[in-house]
Amino acid sequence: MNILYALVPLALLLAGLGVLAFRWAVRDGQFDDVETPAIRMLLDDETDQSSTP
Amino acid sequence: MSTVATDRTPLKSRAAKATDVSTTIADSHCAHCGMRLGSTPVVKDDRGFCCNSCATAFGALSDSGLDEEFYSLQVLPEKPANTASDASKNLQLKELDSPQFIEEHTRPDNAGRSVDLFVDGMHCAACVWLIERLPFEMEGIAVARVDLPRARLSLTFDPAQVKLSKVAEWLAKFGYTVRPMRGEGGRPTDAERKLLLRMGVAWALAGNVMLVTFALYSGLQAEGSGLATAARWISLTLSIPAVFYGGAPFFRRAWASMRSAIKAHDFRRLHMDMPIALGILVGFLHSMWATLSGNGEVWFDSITVLIAALLTARWLQLRSRRLAGEASDRLLALVPSMVRRVRADGQIEVVRVDDIDAGDLVEVPAGEVVPVDGVIAEGESRLNNAVITGESRPEAVVSGGRVVAGATNLSSPLRVRVEAAGEATRVGKLLAWVRNAEEHKAPVVLLADRIGGYFVLGVLALAALTAALWISIDPTVAAQHVVALLVITCPCALGMATPLAMSVAAGRAARHGLFIKSDEATQQLTTIDTVILDKTGTLTEGQMTLVEWTGSTDALELLAALESQSNHPIAEALVRSVGPTENIGVVGIEAVAGAGIRGFVDGREVVVGRPDWVAVVTGVSTDSVQPDIERVALLGYTPVVAAVDRQIVGVAAIGDRLRDDAAQLVRALELSGKEVHILSGDHPEAVAVVAERLGLVGERARGGVSPEEKRAAIEHLQEEGSSVLMVGDGVNDAVALQAADVGVAVGGGSTASLVAADVFMTRPGVEPVSELLHGSEAVMRTIRVTLGVSLLYNLIGASAAMAGLVTPLVAAVAMPVSSLLVVAMAILQPSFRDQQPQSLKHQ
Repeated sequence: MNILYALVPLALLLAGLGVLAFRWAVRDGQFDDVETPAIRMLLDDETDQSSTP
Repeated sequence: MSTVATDRTPLKSRAAKATDVSTTIADSHCAHCGMRLGSTPVVKDDRGFCCNSCATAFGALSDSGLDEEFYSLQVLPEKPANTASDASKNLQLKELDSPQFIEEHTRPDNAGRSVDLFVDGMHCAACVWLIERLPFEMEGIAVARVDLPRARLSLTFDPAQVKLSKVAEWLAKFGYTVRPMRGEGGRPTDAERKLLLRMGVAWALAGNVMLVTFALYSGLQAEGSGLATAARWISLTLSIPAVFYGGAPFFRRAWASMRSAIKAHDFRRLHMDMPIALGILVGFLHSMWATLSGNGEVWFDSITVLIAALLTARWLQLRSRRLAGEASDRLLALVPSMVRRVRADGQIEVVRVDDIDAGDLVEVPAGEVVPVDGVIAEGESRLNNAVITGESRPEAVVSGGRVVAGATNLSSPLRVRVEAAGEATRVGKLLAWVRNAEEHKAPVVLLADRIGGYFVLGVLALAALTAALWISIDPTVAAQHVVALLVITCPCALGMATPLAMSVAAGRAARHGLFIKSDEATQQLTTIDTVILDKTGTLTEGQMTLVEWTGSTDALELLAALESQSNHPIAEALVRSVGPTENIGVVGIEAVAGAGIRGFVDGREVVVGRPDWVAVVTGVSTDSVQPDIERVALLGYTPVVAAVDRQIVGVAAIGDRLRDDAAQLVRALELSGKEVHILSGDHPEAVAVVAERLGLVGERARGGVSPEEKRAAIEHLQEEGSSVLMVGDGVNDAVALQAADVGVAVGGGSTASLVAADVFMTRPGVEPVSELLHGSEAVMRTIRVTLGVSLLYNLIGASAAMAGLVTPLVAAVAMPVSSLLVVAMAILQPSFRDQQPQSLKHQ
């Protein structure tokens, strides 16, 4: 059972990473519009805005 | 007798038959997105498209065999895209380039400035693709992002290189209308993002605390090993941010309410956050003490889950409020913000409406919306006042007549002496009232909030009672029973029941084209006993169409060809209903105002107009069609007789058609015991005809009612104790929609009515109103049942635990079962699911 002393903090660390990722996603506005990106996926890559300067 | 349909199918077949496709389809609708084709259609495979991207999309869909399903799923806008004249577009565009606009509505960005614009006319992936190509098409635009559901375009551009008006012109080529966005523009505010983050973090912490606590409940605790101590300390560590970061809003508001209550010596001012905050705090402090001292129980799991559940409810609420606020911003674009002022030297200058004073002279070209209230100084024209009065027929105005902002000038330029501008106009006042009333509406106090706090305090009291009870009976098992009680009464089921059921129902209703803005509206809908219906645009379709044609179909084409040369409203209605005519030469046109039009179509003499006028002109008696004429007049439509080569060929009924489902709705409402009224701004006679056809008589149908009187009538009914549902569509209904207990705006309604309404429907017709009523009743029933079930569960659980019948492990297993039950009940609720769209059934 002593393995738990290592595993539980590890699990919490992973959860912490998840929370950090979520924080980034919220601040980046990923949740502001959850419909258009689904449509944007259908479009050709050349219109991907992130690839434009 | 044949009734003319305006759907796309005959259009397509007609287009396919024609030899010269481009002239045939110039005035029809895109085969892909259904928008008007405009002057530069794209023709491919004998079909007309509004733009290349639609043509490409159509080709791709049919190549992959998906077209049939796609077009059956596609929802086309009920009305074609706005076809405002070039003049009014240019006026709007000028504003985009004005330094004030750039200053007020754009934000500095590292690539120049960024701006948010409303774009009307976007409905599909092709539109997103096309508009997001902007950076490749125009110099000086760095980023273009479309937010489809909110009809919004975010642009980052360099003002030195590109003018916004050029962007708008480029978009206009494809049929998109750009409107400047004022105010906050409904961006997800920082507050909403922060709350979402808080909610996510709270759930992550709650989940982990739960996992750790499960280990404690399932036996770790009893062993009293080092692991148990570690588990408690981990829970404590995780709970600290959950309570002080996640729960901060509750503490802050509870503190504020406490201070105001003490200052005012009025304890009714205590907020619902008070018991919540107290419950969280007491629970946390006790658990912390237990952890530090090494004995006593911890209930970190209950506290953290409660915080997360309540934050979720708050977030759902904030989000729906923002969506409502968004509609408010569109409302501001209703009245033009730029006007043409006539200077003393006769020159016309374009200025912002804020710079206009009473006494100024402004010019209003045909096709534009009147920007001010005033008196006509020069010119005569016809005005469409539907926005203000709800009257569908254009009104003729002459010099000296009054005009109000919001009316559309239909035929010829007017010069108006300004009496009021901006907020001081009648429509400005109406809208201001709507906006203020919206702000003052009490925030929805969720049932979960109300119960949640007291629940926690109650549980704590019961825990103390249990402890006292068992210490006096058998101190060794006291701790175990207290834990069992706390576990089994976990408030997550209770906390989630209401918001979950509400949001599942709202989401499902939205898929059916019913958008319910607040949970409060859903609740109110179940108490409705009086329904007030607007006429124009609600019970009727809101525009003049050819309702009925008695005669040969071939003659109808000749008629449409002749009438397409006229811009009289009746002629326009005929052309719109018949659709584009084939390339037929029309010569020798002679129009007589107020009577009719005659001319030679394809070498045949065609006369269309008032029955008596047609009889005089052609010298042929209209007696043969007299019964038809009388029948049409009786139905409240305008009879128009047509003669070809001096022979009467048919009678057309022109008017604002009663929606097919109107009678059905009225009957359904009356069957369910609700009182139905019609309040309309239209002529009393027109209202009476519609009311009679719907079986509503006497005082229940009133015409000629101003927006203010509508509101007064609703308030009067409310004073008599009725709970009123108002169904309307126009600006003239906005105030009434706001005043009613629940306001419903029907499909294709004006933006103002969307703002004021609690519910709006994107499905055509009024039939969804009964679905809405049934659905909301089902939701409330579900909520009552779920709350009942979870309370009952908690009651039984608590009693059993207090009696010492439950071990902590059994309690830990039973707890998620109750939550799952509540979730399942919310998802399986019967509301808004009777009428699944066809396409979903065979999947």
